[in-house]
Amino acid sequence: MSNLKQALQDKKFVVSGEIGPPKGVDIEKCLKNAEGLRNQVIAFNVTDLQSAVMRIGSMAVSAKLVERGLEPVYQLTCRDRNRLALQSDLLSAWAFGIENVLCLTGDHPNLGDHVQAKPVYDLDSVQLLKVATTLNQGHDMIGHELEGKPDFFLGGVVTPAADPMEPQIIKMQKKIDSGARFFQTQAIYEPEQFEMFMNQAQRFNVPIMAGVVVLKSAAMAKFMNANVAGIKVPDNLISEMEETKKEDRKKKTVEITARIIRAVKPLCQGVHIMPLGWDELVPDIIKQAALD
Amino acid sequence: MHATIQKSIDEIVTYFKPGEKLFVVGCDNCAAKCHSGGIPETEEMANRLKKRGVNVIGWCVPQPKGMSLCKLSNTKKVLQEEYGEETRQADSFLILACGQGFHTVIDATDGGAVHPGCDTIFGGETVSDDFIAEYCSLCGECIVEQTGGLCPVTLCAKSLLNGPCGGAKDGKCEVDRNRDCGWQLIYDRLRTLGRLEQMKEYVEPKNNSRWSRPRSLTVGEKEATFVSLAGSSTIVNHD
Repeated sequence: MSNLKQALQDKKFVVSGEIGPPKGVDIEKCLKNAEGLRNQVIAFNVTDLQSAVMRIGSMAVSAKLVERGLEPVYQLTCRDRNRLALQSDLLSAWAFGIENVLCLTGDHPNLGDHVQAKPVYDLDSVQLLKVATTLNQGHDMIGHELEGKPDFFLGGVVTPAADPMEPQIIKMQKKIDSGARFFQTQAIYEPEQFEMFMNQAQRFNVPIMAGVVVLKSAAMAKFMNANVAGIKVPDNLISEMEETKKEDRKKKTVEITARIIRAVKPLCQGVHIMPLGWDELVPDIIKQAALD
Repeated sequence: MHATIQKSIDEIVTYFKPGEKLFVVGCDNCAAKCHSGGIPETEEMANRLKKRGVNVIGWCVPQPKGMSLCKLSNTKKVLQEEYGEETRQADSFLILACGQGFHTVIDATDGGAVHPGCDTIFGGETVSDDFIAEYCSLCGECIVEQTGGLCPVTLCAKSLLNGPCGGAKDGKCEVDRNRDCGWQLIYDRLRTLGRLEQMKEYVEPKNNSRWSRPRSLTVGEKEATFVSLAGSSTIVNHD
């Protein structure tokens, strides 16, 4: 059983990290970043062509983490693979020792660097979860028996700040019915808003890990507010960043991130920290958030 | 209707060899509505090509009024009888219609050479005389009973069947903030209809073999047979 599954089953509060594989074959740097957080986080999400930009695959980097005794959360999107490839990649992932899988729709190719690509979406995230659950039960989605079955710990994502929230809740229910056993959320900056979401999601009785993206600058906040769905950085955080001198900015980032984590901690079962390259801040964030 | 848009004249003129005798054919149904191949556009295309030195020997838009070019029996009669003298001389045909029309002219001229004058862009609703919008992807397996009559395969950029992704912002799609999120439209509509419960039902993955190409339909008065890679399915449309 994966450490993540065990910890969530034991009702522990967990902290996960994230690796964004690079464009190219030099993965040493991102593996080293992960290595540096070995004792801080329980598992590392490995993103799957994040933002629809062509890169080295999440399976390869996940497998490399396994080799080093680090635990991946293999992100698998529906954007680039049909149902044959999705099932086959899942079986391949299991062969590499990957147990945690986060099933996502995936950003549209139009948002990335190969805008003329054919979007696949042969399955959606709900269907992918159901198919992965079927593999766990020893069959492919057609019902053919597998020679040896995997035992994936399957997760899904949800956007707490979506407006309206109801479609997200409806889809979350479908994901749970299809086999999602944990959830990670889109980045949270407003704990009050997250609490409203949790008031609705609590009844599902499924572990939810709040997504926390480190806020690097006021410009980044404004960019996300304008461009990234389901993220709302409140004005007070933007002014706080604006009023911070450049040399103190990382300190402020740590302070704000830790503050958000402290606020959401009583509401959920973990945080998923996305450092976006500022991995060196994660130990301080964890310390200030009193998670260590 | 099949929405079409003319290719640029600069591209079209590159198709022809020097002296190639060309006959231009339009369509009085869909292409006429799209102003890509009705009577005025077909005549205009013939003149524009002549001005650029193309040897245009004639043009026609098969009638009667409103007739589809893709109705082979009519197109064959018009091209072989009414315009037989010119079409027999023609080395090739430029078609201002959809891709079905291109092939209809191949059949109607017993294997004549055709050049595409239009891009066929989608099947759409003629919302007004000057606006056509896409609401159906011709997938061969309609699921709008569960979605308030709105097609998620078409209206959602990702063709998701079980609800919205996390990419919508203020009800707009992540690929284009000026475009409505298809699932927001479906959610709003199901709410209005009092049928939101339907959104909670799991929708199976599509049977893409019904969306295989090419497909065919054989029709009779009392039954129709659809042939795709999903097999042959016959439906009796009579008690």
